[in-house]
Amino acid sequence: MDALQDLAFGFTVVFEPFNLLLVASGVLAGTIIGMLPGLGPIAAIALLIPTTFGMDPSSALILLAGVYYGAVFGGSTSSILLNAPGIAGTVATSFDGYPMARSGRAGAALAIAAIASFIGGTIALIGLALVAPALASVAVAFGPAEYFALMVLGLTAVTSLSDTGLVKGLLAGTFGVMVSIIGIDLQTGTLRYTFGMPELFEGVDFLIVALGVFALAEVLRLALQPQNESQEAIGSLRLSRRELRDMAPATGRGSLVGFFSGILPGAGATIGSFLGYGLEKRVAKDADTFGKGNTKGIAAPESANNAAAVGSFVPLLTLGVPGSGTTAVLLGALLVLGIQPGPLMFADRPEVFWGVIASMYIGNIVLLMLNLPLIPLLARILRTPRPLLLPLIIVFCVIGVYGLRFNTFDLWLLLLFGVLGFLMRANGFPAAPLILGLILGAIMEESMRQALQISGGAWSVFLEQPISATLLALAAVSLLAPPLVARWRQRSRASVG
Amino acid sequence: MSARPVALKALAAVFALALLASACDEEGATEADAADPDDFTPSEPIEYIAPAGAGGGWDTLARTTGRVLEESDLVDVNFPVENHEGGGGAVGWAHVAGQPGDDHTLFMASPPLILVPLSGEADHDHTDFTAVSRLITDYMIYGVPEDSPIETVEELFERAADADDEDEFAIAGGSAPGSMDHIGLAGAADAAGVDAAEVNYVPFSGGGEAMTAAIGGHVDAVVTGVGESTSQVEAGEIRVLATSAPEGESPIDAPALQDEGIDYTFDIWRGVMGPPDMSPEAIAFYEQMYADMLELDEWAEERDELGWIDAYLGHDEFTEFLDEQQEEFEAVLDDLGLLGEAPDS
Repeated sequence: MDALQDLAFGFTVVFEPFNLLLVASGVLAGTIIGMLPGLGPIAAIALLIPTTFGMDPSSALILLAGVYYGAVFGGSTSSILLNAPGIAGTVATSFDGYPMARSGRAGAALAIAAIASFIGGTIALIGLALVAPALASVAVAFGPAEYFALMVLGLTAVTSLSDTGLVKGLLAGTFGVMVSIIGIDLQTGTLRYTFGMPELFEGVDFLIVALGVFALAEVLRLALQPQNESQEAIGSLRLSRRELRDMAPATGRGSLVGFFSGILPGAGATIGSFLGYGLEKRVAKDADTFGKGNTKGIAAPESANNAAAVGSFVPLLTLGVPGSGTTAVLLGALLVLGIQPGPLMFADRPEVFWGVIASMYIGNIVLLMLNLPLIPLLARILRTPRPLLLPLIIVFCVIGVYGLRFNTFDLWLLLLFGVLGFLMRANGFPAAPLILGLILGAIMEESMRQALQISGGAWSVFLEQPISATLLALAAVSLLAPPLVARWRQRSRASVG
Repeated sequence: MSARPVALKALAAVFALALLASACDEEGATEADAADPDDFTPSEPIEYIAPAGAGGGWDTLARTTGRVLEESDLVDVNFPVENHEGGGGAVGWAHVAGQPGDDHTLFMASPPLILVPLSGEADHDHTDFTAVSRLITDYMIYGVPEDSPIETVEELFERAADADDEDEFAIAGGSAPGSMDHIGLAGAADAAGVDAAEVNYVPFSGGGEAMTAAIGGHVDAVVTGVGESTSQVEAGEIRVLATSAPEGESPIDAPALQDEGIDYTFDIWRGVMGPPDMSPEAIAFYEQMYADMLELDEWAEERDELGWIDAYLGHDEFTEFLDEQQEEFEAVLDDLGLLGEAPDS
């Protein structure tokens, strides 16, 4: 009952008119920024920080947090409509969202994304309110060995993301891991694959690759294609009863996976959405329709990334460890506001902690009310004539990438990955494994070497730790089970027939 | 009334302003002889550079000092912060080095300005820039998880030196080998009579992650900044054995290394620097401006909230301090075998 009392106290903080106004304006700003391809919440939060000076810390965090989860909420829009991820966390949403929009069901795809986002966020909030104080210990239990095992488990999803053949998928995934290695090696300080260019010292930003191989590659493809297909149809928002029934378990699983990823500072929303998508595709009976516009392929990553965005406030506030670029900026903002996130947050600053949690309930409802009515309007983007739409997508990609570090070098990288993505698609290489390798590869390598350095080079460390051993076993099962099951099915069918 | 007279009036106003501005310029140019702070006044917004992304230490320093200065009456221009991210600072440094003699550009500096060039990863080092003022400092903590059997910092280094493959002892830090946390650890180990290259330093990306690894029992000890560690130390999760402050000046309830008989100090200093060949008048002006800023109540408030300690040095002393730092770090990196090829060669 304690948690409910704390939460009720949080609501008294939020229900001050000024704070309600901040929640609404924060999520509105966030959802718009999220919708614009390439523009992420980092720049928006950094710009808003000065306006929060003089505000009560809880009010300030309510506003800034609203921008963050608002952006994750709205980020699915451009993933679905344009194949251009609004933010890093919504890359996986485009796998099924974009094909669905192209087949004339953009309205339904956006509705699924909005509903799944809302449910994901809400489930995570309930989890947060009930067990938040205990969650910090879960995050602490994850050391290097455990992170390595989790990343291995995540990488096994390459097999399910390789629709055009396992070999091509593995090649793309390996290339992604190689790109993730670029930059200063944390373990030795050595420069790898930087060719003496200081712009590469801190690695290639994930968003550049994602916008290149998805958005830009798609623009190239559309530009070179004779304009004969009709994709003007927006379709009804209505979802069939069967779709809703299908969506429910997918959303539930996605929310749990996402929430758990969010709690781990090394994982976060992007990894959470990929894990959610991978899991859903693996448990689905209709796995072969994933990537072609399956509603579950939207519901899972969308619920996962919103749950993760909420969950990521646990390590941020209770450990002071940011799990992503956005939460790192939030951490900076907190410090400037005179708040030291840490284990004492619950006790010392309950109005900040519970105020923010409570504000997210309100914010999520506002987001749903805001986004659903906007869908028909947004989907009209697809009716924009192609000669106008394609340059606009390019402009937004360029602004988004340039805004990362104000560096023209990154724009050349964007172009490079755009051409690469186009060539990959033309030759049947899937882009998703590349992205997966890129986001998981760096953490996998880093944590593996940290674990080995701690253990003095003994590989047994990965099997001695119970959490890591379990995760590795799961990874082995998820790799070996599908072919074994398939063979067993074949055999039993043969014996019956 | 027609629109024409209004347009003419506006035109006249613009001319008047332009005349006024050029008059000011001439006045400024005719004076300026001795390096007196009164001989220079910034005439346009300062390009205030954090050579890293938003949210980090340089960025926080830039935004905090910029805000305090803008709200004060010490200076009339604005300090819009620009983030030039990349290369651990190298991208931003190259940008500043490309504007020699510019009296309206300043950037944030701290030990990486010495360490990154020493590892051979930047084309510029501190001698390519103009030191303006050192502002603040922070110190390192040498800590263990709260339930660790280790009681003193001496014991910590003994255990670290005795460790072998059978009996592992790992110390986590928040930055790559050869950067701040590692230097602070290696320098202290060396002063304690332990071969610094024998200490098993495990780098994490950030002090927060390093402390989390220690609290979870994944490593045996942690070294990071006092400021970064405050919340975990106050919560009793991390026990501080010593800080790198000078004797008797430890800012928290733990002894300094020098109090424990290990003759070593490490400053996580932060200051402001400018492009090469700044005019002496501008240096004198900014030096005075920052010295005055440290006296403001608004500054004291921000500083205390961020856990910083005032450590002002003017242009001359700061320049000398930077040279000493370079010499000292070079020796430690050499011991660790992490010295890169010299820049600018």
